[in-house]
Amino acid sequence: MDISLALPRLCGMGLSFRVDGFRLLFACLTTYMWLMTSLFTPEYMAHARKKGRYWFFLLATYLATMGVFLSDDLYTTFVFFELMSLASYVCVIHDEKPATMRAGGVYLAVAVIGGLVTLMGIFLLYHLTGSLSFASLRASCADLLAGGGREELKWLYIAGLCVLFGFGAKAGMFPLHIWLPMAHPVAPAPASALLSGIITKSGIFGLLVLAADVFAGDGAWGLLIAGLGTATMLLGGVLAIFSVDIKRTLACSSMSQLGMIILGVGMQDLLGEHNALAVRGTILHMVNHANLKLVLFMAAGVIVMNLHKLDLNEIRGYGRKKPLLKAVFLTGALGIGGIPLFNGYVSKTLLHESIVEYVELLHQGAGSLPGFLTPHQAAALFQGIEWLFLLTGGMTVAYMTKLFVCVFVERNADPALQREYDRKGRYCSPLTGTVLCLAALVLPVLGCLPGLTLDRLADTAQTFLHGHSPAHPVHYFSLVNLKGGLISVAIGAAIYLLIVRRGLMARREDGARVYADRWPKKLDLLTLVYEPVLLRALPALCGGACRLLDLLSDGVITFVAGTVFPAVFGFFCRVLDFVTDGCVLLLRRTTHRQRRPAPVVPDGYRFSYYAGTCLNAAARLLDRTVRRGRPSGRDYVLLLAERQSLYKDTRRLIRASASFSLLMMGLGLAAVVLYLLVLQ
Amino acid sequence: MTNGTPAFELLLPLLLSLAGGLAVGCVRWKSRRAMLGLTAAVLAADLLITVYICLSGAAMRLPLFTVTEGLEAVLRADTLGKIFALLFAFVWLMAGTAAFEYMEHERDNPRFFAFYLIVGGVLNAACWAGNFFTYYILFELMTLTSMPLVLHSLSHEAVMAALKYLFYSMGGAFLTLFGFFLFVSQGESMTFRPGGSLAAGALTGQQLTAVMLMIAGFSTKAGMFPMHGWLPTAHPVAPAPASAVLSGVITKAGVLGVLRTVYYVVGPDKLRGTWVQTVWICLALTTVFMGSMLAYREDVLKKRMAYSTVSQVSYVLFGLSLLHPTAFTGAILHVVFHSLVKDTLFLAAGAVIIRTGRTRVSELSGIGRGMPVTMWCFTLVSVTLIGIPPTSAFVSKWYLAVGSLATGIPVVSWLGPVILLISALLTAGYLLTISIKAFLPEKTAQPLAVEKCEPGWRMTVPMGIMTGLSVLLGVWPGPLLDAVGTLTGLLF
Repeated sequence: MDISLALPRLCGMGLSFRVDGFRLLFACLTTYMWLMTSLFTPEYMAHARKKGRYWFFLLATYLATMGVFLSDDLYTTFVFFELMSLASYVCVIHDEKPATMRAGGVYLAVAVIGGLVTLMGIFLLYHLTGSLSFASLRASCADLLAGGGREELKWLYIAGLCVLFGFGAKAGMFPLHIWLPMAHPVAPAPASALLSGIITKSGIFGLLVLAADVFAGDGAWGLLIAGLGTATMLLGGVLAIFSVDIKRTLACSSMSQLGMIILGVGMQDLLGEHNALAVRGTILHMVNHANLKLVLFMAAGVIVMNLHKLDLNEIRGYGRKKPLLKAVFLTGALGIGGIPLFNGYVSKTLLHESIVEYVELLHQGAGSLPGFLTPHQAAALFQGIEWLFLLTGGMTVAYMTKLFVCVFVERNADPALQREYDRKGRYCSPLTGTVLCLAALVLPVLGCLPGLTLDRLADTAQTFLHGHSPAHPVHYFSLVNLKGGLISVAIGAAIYLLIVRRGLMARREDGARVYADRWPKKLDLLTLVYEPVLLRALPALCGGACRLLDLLSDGVITFVAGTVFPAVFGFFCRVLDFVTDGCVLLLRRTTHRQRRPAPVVPDGYRFSYYAGTCLNAAARLLDRTVRRGRPSGRDYVLLLAERQSLYKDTRRLIRASASFSLLMMGLGLAAVVLYLLVLQ
Repeated sequence: MTNGTPAFELLLPLLLSLAGGLAVGCVRWKSRRAMLGLTAAVLAADLLITVYICLSGAAMRLPLFTVTEGLEAVLRADTLGKIFALLFAFVWLMAGTAAFEYMEHERDNPRFFAFYLIVGGVLNAACWAGNFFTYYILFELMTLTSMPLVLHSLSHEAVMAALKYLFYSMGGAFLTLFGFFLFVSQGESMTFRPGGSLAAGALTGQQLTAVMLMIAGFSTKAGMFPMHGWLPTAHPVAPAPASAVLSGVITKAGVLGVLRTVYYVVGPDKLRGTWVQTVWICLALTTVFMGSMLAYREDVLKKRMAYSTVSQVSYVLFGLSLLHPTAFTGAILHVVFHSLVKDTLFLAAGAVIIRTGRTRVSELSGIGRGMPVTMWCFTLVSVTLIGIPPTSAFVSKWYLAVGSLATGIPVVSWLGPVILLISALLTAGYLLTISIKAFLPEKTAQPLAVEKCEPGWRMTVPMGIMTGLSVLLGVWPGPLLDAVGTLTGLLF
């Protein structure tokens, strides 16, 4: 079956859809999940407010999810992926309690940030390849990987990482998983089932496109994804073991199982040509996990709608004497724990075998691997990952045992409460019971008859991922394959007995043993890293810088135009204004000064004139300073001239009288000489 | 130049608006209904005439007057003008209708509507301007006539804001005048011709400086850093419908000026790779980031919108500055989408103000219950503006980003989309939080005193229409893309 539909120019770039094996499978799965949860919803939401809003956005989410799974190009995928994120937000925050709003806020923030980063990646991919349809992406990316320049390859990896960011966030991939353990417990149980069962798979869908079409057979990419997947499944498992909240445990379990799927996605690229097991394992674990989480979350939903409590210590013992609920939950627990004859076992076996196969390939010198690893190192690494995979399987068994024992086997620490729990009559409507049974019945059917059911699903779906059919059919119940499952069960038993029963239970004051929350509150990526950085440091830093720019530009413009401009130009114009006047003034003061005629100084009085002028000036100076108020009022020129004329007169008199005296003396001398000469 | 029969249709909206404006402003109206009726009739007539002009295929041209040899005022209908004129006339009618209700809460209605009509007419004529001279006259006229809209309340704050608006706008216009004088003195006609009308050959340093000044000058109206200061001051004090058109339409007149200068006078090829392009890109990107960051940290609702406008209009300028057909397409689309979105946002803010008196974001807890239609419109256009598919701004941002990558300019080609996306994230931060607060109030928050406070149909219908368009144009952008396609075909 292969139907395609292209709607050119719709939404700008045109939308295109295709229905083939894989997409048909997931479209059916989506519809099945929605159908089952919708049948459960009326009873669950019986007393809730704003049901209309819930149903509207539930349907919108359904349409958007279908759009994602049916899309035939990355643009269409992205359009519906974003719609799905927004619409599912409203379903998540339905009860509007503060804790819900906070979790919803984180969900929305991760979705919006993830969406935008993915969009950047899609821009880059479009720029590099010129088309976003999966078929042409595969062709052009294969060319790029084979013969692209260093620069182009760099951008291809950057684009891949960006696209991975958003889809990985939706798939609960470490370190973007933060929203998952927060949003699931607070959402209504049917929404949790959908969120965990199918909406996270839309993130995986993006990862699959990246793995199968963009980085087909690329070892480095495969290693990165496998690494992230391993981290996710381990962290999810550990968080689930520590959790004391039934829905949180299930959410962390989702994270862990998604980690396994992501690991499988990575294995597809690492295995290259031989990816049959990884492809089939990934697809089947997606299908199985969706079915399992549908059952488990609806069973948890039955408990929540009766008790409105999630804490394990409070709901402890509720499931005793409720065989139907017990059976349903047990089926789900066995399925997800990977117990043979239940569906989870089949897909986990395939995933496990794919790792084993890769290690074998490495020993033979085949299989793609990144350049910086030798086959020997890689083999050792994946040997380790294989054991971590089994360990995660063990953790799954352990936390599911914890939940089952707590709710369905043990008695509540409070005997009165236990009596009330035991007395309770009808705890769900016949419809809900039927839905639960039907959903649970699927699990053993898939698990007991894998050859008839799951293998066929895998056969139709694997073409989407360009998987090859395995050379020989897998014998799920052979001794080799059963060994892996049994090892996990053994590890799980050990973890449960040694860690959960010993380490994670505490004795209350009255002596009863209760489940204790031993996970350090501080150890949370959200409050430790993301919130301080994204909500405080970055806005403060950038906001401060922008405020400064804003004030500077406005302030500088206003200051320059209002103060500096008038001041500087005003001064300048004042100068210009004064220039002509100033020149005239300067000339008048200097070269063109008005001059009075020089006084006529009578001959012979020069000295008294000049000295007198000087003395007059000195006197005026003294008058103005020292002798202030007592001016002398003398004119020294006149004074000196008077003295000079007196002096002149006197000198003339003296000169005249001296010359007469000399004349007389001469006459006298002459007379004396005459006398002497003549008379003697 | 071809001289067909003068197409007087091009001047008709302006004359009609002037006459209508004078009548509304000068006549002493006994009944408010009659005055509003006249206003509505003129607005609708303007829109109809514009639609008629857009639909008629004939090349319309109308010489107005000649100042001197080579300096004549001409109106002419071209594709770009048609897109802008249609958008302006439509938004003008929508915001005007909303103003009928909003202005009941303000005094001096006739003055407001008189100037509202006149600015609308002037804007319409500005779209048809056939050369730089004509555009400059109408641009200045628009600044002067729109100032009374800002200072409407006549409070000290409003008057100061209006003066700031005037000062910035005039300053910007004078910067453009420098280039005008330079080019005219070099014998250029400054006619608007697709692809540029300057003489062939590379631009000299002096001419490049002139072009930079012209870009910066028109960008003042478009709120580009560092000349964005008037927006956050003028918007909060103006009546909401005035803020709406100020932000949604009048900033676009600045964009139109830049467009005409760069793509119709200078020519994109002459600027590609010059320092002018580099500086322009840097300024536009700075503004995109700065505007949304400041909006994110702003509590006064209308001021937040104003900063948002600063950021969003610079998306357009960024698209234009890349001088690439794809980015150009994105820019033109964003002009249309942002107009619709921002008008709706401002009208919603106005509705909140007149019905509840609340002006701060922190006071809006639970308001969605009281005014569901308004807040739904607000939410939908917010989603649009963030660019969440399949709404319209996603399409424009797609073209902007793809165009940016296609230019291959080092660093900018990838930094541009990154900044656009960070800004989109901030847009989500400053808009979605309002919607969440409005519809999903915290339990501790004080409930709203007024339970039912939805505004009347005259506000909700325009908001609804614009919201619908802004969403639908994202899903079916075909016709718009066709129009822009012809434009890019002409320009590149």
